[in-house]
Amino acid sequence: MKNFALAGNPNCGKTTLFNALTGSTAHVGNWPGVTVDKKEGVYKKLEENVNVVDLPGIYSLSPYTPEEVVARNYILDEKPDCVINIIDATNLERNLYLTTQIMEIDVPMVIALNMMDAVEKAGDKIDAKDLEARLGLPVIPISALRSEGIHELMERAYESAKTPRAGVTVLEESAIKHLVWDVKIALSAQKVENPVFHAVKLVEEDELEVEAHKDILHMVDEFKSTFDDEIFGTDFESLIADGRYKYITKNFSPALKRKNKNPLRMTTSDKVDRVLTHKIWGIPIFLAILFAMFHLTFSENFLGIGTLFSLPTLDEIGVGEGIGRDLLACVYDGVIYSPGVILFNLMDLLTATLSGWISGGVMSLGASDWVMGFVSDGVLAGISGVLSFVPQIVFLLLLLSILEDTGYMARVAFILDRICRKFGVSGRAFIPMIMGFGCSVPAMINTRTLADEKEKVMTIRAIPFFTCGAKVPVLTGVAGAIAMFFNTGNADIITYSMYVLGLVVAVVTIIAMHSTTQRGEITPFIMELPAYHLPSGRALMIHLWDKVKHYVKKVFTIILASTIVIWFLSNFSWAFWNGLVAIEDSILASLGKLLQPIFTPLGFGSQLGGLGWMFVVAAITGLIAKENVIATFAALSAVLGSVVASESGVTEIALIIAKTGITIPGLLAFIVFNMTTIPCFASVATAKGELGRRVWWTILFWMVTSMCSGAVVYAFATMFTEWSTWSILVSVLFVIVAVLSVVLVRRYNKLHPKKR
Amino acid sequence: MPFIDIVIIILAVGTLVGVVAWSIRNKKKGKTSCGCDCSKCSGCSSCKETPKK
Repeated sequence: MKNFALAGNPNCGKTTLFNALTGSTAHVGNWPGVTVDKKEGVYKKLEENVNVVDLPGIYSLSPYTPEEVVARNYILDEKPDCVINIIDATNLERNLYLTTQIMEIDVPMVIALNMMDAVEKAGDKIDAKDLEARLGLPVIPISALRSEGIHELMERAYESAKTPRAGVTVLEESAIKHLVWDVKIALSAQKVENPVFHAVKLVEEDELEVEAHKDILHMVDEFKSTFDDEIFGTDFESLIADGRYKYITKNFSPALKRKNKNPLRMTTSDKVDRVLTHKIWGIPIFLAILFAMFHLTFSENFLGIGTLFSLPTLDEIGVGEGIGRDLLACVYDGVIYSPGVILFNLMDLLTATLSGWISGGVMSLGASDWVMGFVSDGVLAGISGVLSFVPQIVFLLLLLSILEDTGYMARVAFILDRICRKFGVSGRAFIPMIMGFGCSVPAMINTRTLADEKEKVMTIRAIPFFTCGAKVPVLTGVAGAIAMFFNTGNADIITYSMYVLGLVVAVVTIIAMHSTTQRGEITPFIMELPAYHLPSGRALMIHLWDKVKHYVKKVFTIILASTIVIWFLSNFSWAFWNGLVAIEDSILASLGKLLQPIFTPLGFGSQLGGLGWMFVVAAITGLIAKENVIATFAALSAVLGSVVASESGVTEIALIIAKTGITIPGLLAFIVFNMTTIPCFASVATAKGELGRRVWWTILFWMVTSMCSGAVVYAFATMFTEWSTWSILVSVLFVIVAVLSVVLVRRYNKLHPKKR
Repeated sequence: MPFIDIVIIILAVGTLVGVVAWSIRNKKKGKTSCGCDCSKCSGCSSCKETPKK
């Protein structure tokens, strides 16, 4: 099977083309650097199947970034049958810089002139035929987003792949052509593959080339010693870049006819950016957008309508029992629910109804009581408790994806760069952190784009503090139970505060790491801001479908298995052959009670006595996967015997609150612990892949951070709610320890400055 | 013991064994143990081969 590689600048549409060609669902993001490693798929519409490889976006074939090394090594070592160079037609000159470098490699190549629809929309024109004649390579106008021209592109690529192509350089018109040519002859004599490419790179003093061709370096230096440029002197890298751009300007600019000749004219994106990336208003706007997003997803009092107007409840209206009332109650009951809560209520109604049917079915088949308990309290309670949150998570992810796809998230990285640098990381590190709102696993993988190792370590450790989709049920469930049981506060405000608290924990820990174990300089942050565009419905749907698929798969595998185990552990004692026992005598209770004292500083330990171990057990099972927390609560509350499987996750937690007597500070500390601790086994495995043995320190870091964060939140919240001497003393102690730590670390760093 | 009890016990044990076997298989293939293939990693060699970095 032939291999075609897709190469091009970041954010030029490679992954969109890859998806269109292969039917894949690889993530497409409107910012540079979404693809960090190569992806493979198959194109099946030619006379033979073709393997298509999507390479990460690069600006050059010099080894400045990990992506450039991946792309360069693939083209040179794997020798694809054809390179499809995708060019963002709206940014022709800059994209052709990479083209002039790929042309130097002995590989067939074609040019895909992408985003031609955007060029036409702007009123500009690009003469593809003229470009083809000047480049001597096939040039095919396409729109990857609309799947236009892509079959013709593949046909031309397939034809080109049949004929070998020798590398050529555009530097033949520049002053250093003789120098490059002399080196090329020396390399050819040594039978080096791709002599033109290696010759140019050797002259540039590319570090990989210098390492690979040490034997002829003296000869290259001799050639170079005879050369001196008036402007650049012996800065050969700049000389070569200048030669490429001169060639591009001279030969390709005529192919582009701009409608507006004024390059300084502000585009719509520029105008929007003046507001959204404003140095003062940028961050408040971001926080306001974030709050609006959470309000839409979690609020049980949409737009505060229930507070502003005195609306009657369904009972007051006199709505009778039945499915009509159940459906109406999903949307309104004295207050209007936000779209996210409506979706949650509908799903909850559906899972409760299905659970009821299944329980009834099993009972009618004559199942014994303990099997009924297992099915109803163990499996159905756990599964339906977690499944109820699917629509709400999907809704939140939809809003996040829209922000990402429009190009706004790239701006967030930009506006936060100034602040991030003060803490110890660049704005570039914020991109994987933002991805952490979706899932920690891909976010951690995206840290490969960070060139600085210390920045990468700090980012991986901070990613779990950005609340991922799996933590949403914990947040919503406990926050909802607080609002329901204590009849206080709004669930959406608690949820939003916890998200912001996660950001605060990330900032504090990054500052701590940057001041102690990860001291060093902060790398500069340069990123091309993508143009704003309307989100692609197809891309959004693909993204969300993947999320749903992943979540549901997890529910029916890991979570299902966990609920079975939890049910067994909460119904049998160590002498399990003696049959079912009361929950207080179960294996789970004995394990929970063993660990309970550890969580006393967090408010859900020994002070809860009797059934307090339930929170400990839920937190521990959450280390496997965060959805387990709700599944555990559901199973435990069902075993308590006061609820049925049809109750929602929120009601189940409220029941456990009632039984254990936990306070609001303890519940807040419980949320914080879950938000900041080890995210899940999958994340740990990914972190291990990225950090190697340092993962053990990372696990310890997460555990210590979550214990400290939980303890601090518990102490301060207790101080505000109880105002007892003890809580005030503990809070003051925390402040003293924090201030002392800062003073000591600063003093140490002053006495032992980092060697540069 | 009623027939439905036996069926449910077999299903529960089967589920446990299946999930453990699935996790071990994924781990051997280089996937993360939960089989996480959320959109950002789908079809991505780096994601599937994370431990082989």
